[in-house]
This record gives sequence, C-alpha cells and structure tokens, in this order.
Amino acid sequence: MAILEVERARVNGAALAAYLGAGIGAFAMGLFVILNETGVFAAPALYGPAGGVTGRTAFAVVAWLIAWGVLHRRWKDQELAAGRVHAATIGLILLGLVLTFPPVWALF
Amino acid sequence: METMLFTPDSLWTMVHGIGLGGGAMLGLFAALFAVRTLTVDAEPGPSAAAQVRSMGWLLVGSALLLWATVIIGTYVIFPPYRATPPEGLTDLSQYPRALIRSNPGTAWLHTYAMETKEHVPWIAAMLATAGAFIGLRYRSAVLRDPQVRNIVTALLATCFVLVAYAAILGVFVNKVAPLD
Repeated sequence: MAILEVERARVNGAALAAYLGAGIGAFAMGLFVILNETGVFAAPALYGPAGGVTGRTAFAVVAWLIAWGVLHRRWKDQELAAGRVHAATIGLILLGLVLTFPPVWALF
Repeated sequence: METMLFTPDSLWTMVHGIGLGGGAMLGLFAALFAVRTLTVDAEPGPSAAAQVRSMGWLLVGSALLLWATVIIGTYVIFPPYRATPPEGLTDLSQYPRALIRSNPGTAWLHTYAMETKEHVPWIAAMLATAGAFIGLRYRSAVLRDPQVRNIVTALLATCFVLVAYAAILGVFVNKVAPLD
C-alpha cells in the first residue's frame, strides 16, 4: 500500500522520452550496421576476439543513452501529445530493424 | 579415456540460450500478460500494491536477463564461434563459423542467422530497459493509464518477438554447428 500512497500524479514526458529514446537506439544500431556494411564507417572493435560487433553495439548503446538522457531532461516535467512520439518511435524501430536485416545490405 | 559431457563453451552456450535467454523470454511474456490483464482501482488496496511490485520485478528482471544474454552472447559465445581455423584443417567441427560457411547449404546460417543475432538482441535489450524504467517510475499508472499501458505493451511485445526470433535462429545455428 505504501507504494501507491506515495505515488503522485505523473506527467507522461518521462515515459515518452524512454520510448522515443529506445527507438533512437534501435535506429542507431541499424545505422552503425549499414555504415559498416557499406564501408563508410567501421566502429573499432572493443574486444578483438569478438570483432567489430563489439564496437557497433557499444556505439549504438552510447547513442541510445545520450538520446534518452537528453529527451528525459527536456520532457520529464511535461505532458506531451503521444501520437507523434508513438509514430516516430515505431518508425525508428522498424527502420533500425530493416537496416540490420542482412538481405538489405546487398541493396547498398 | 574420460569423455567430457559438457565443455566450458557448451555450458556457456546453455547458460546464454536456455538460462538467460529463456528466462528473459518467460519474464517478458509474463510481464506482457500482467500489463494487459491486471487492473488497479482508483483507490487501490494492499493486494494491488503487491501486484504492482510484482510487475515491476518482472519488468526489471526481464531487462537484466536480456542484458546478461546479449553481453555473454557477444563477448563469451561469439569469439569461439568466429575463431579462424588453421590453414589446411579439414575437420572444422571446432570452428562453427568456418564449418557452416564451408557448405553452401548451411552458409545462410552465418550470412543471415548469425549476422541477425549479432545486432537484433541489443535492440531488444534497449526496448526492455525502457519498459522496465517506465514500470519503475510510473508503477500503478502502468495499469491505470491507458496511454502508459500501451507504451509498455508496445515495448514488451516488440521485444518478445525480437527475442523469440533471435532464439529460433540460435537454435538453428547450434543444431548445425554447436560449440563443443
């Protein structure tokens, strides 16, 4: 009961920041993968035996955390319209997944 | 001569795929079920607080299991999988990537399945973390506020599908070229 009693009404900004931040992280993963596959940018390996995947994933995680942090600071005290954020997040996740889909790499 | 039933690499593979990955999938599904089916009244009682606490543990536990799965998969399982065999070696059974690439019928298990598994689970881990954060911050509002509930549902459902997809691909790879 204590949990519910201390809860205060919350605006939706922090939830939407986490949501969109995850979408940006998914897109960042796809972006680093396609940049690597096209030879534009290869993230350096953090752990040699595992190869370049360690660099790509680390870069994507850092991009995700930065994006989430920035969005959280800006939105945490705001009540926002969710529609556009929802659409943008779904779009970014789908785009990130498409870019990590190996058959797509051959198109570039 | 004594035969080892399980080598360290095969044990790590089981920890990664069955223990951590399987646990994450179970947790994600349970959390998804909880978020969609539990309800909280406007003036909730002690049982509602326990339900909300359990849901929070499910969300956080699933995310932690998923992070452990992807980190062990990338840094512990992947190196022996991609090890390069010595020049001229004909028995490639200890070199899974070389083994599946040596046969045109199984090469897709690397070029498609493993390449997918390298990246997609990391996306799933980010989505699960966002869901866990929202669960911890909003607590009973996840069950009371349709907008917050829908966000967590979208995150968990997407995450579950991605993890299940990666797990199936992992089963295929391990069937043809297990880490022994």
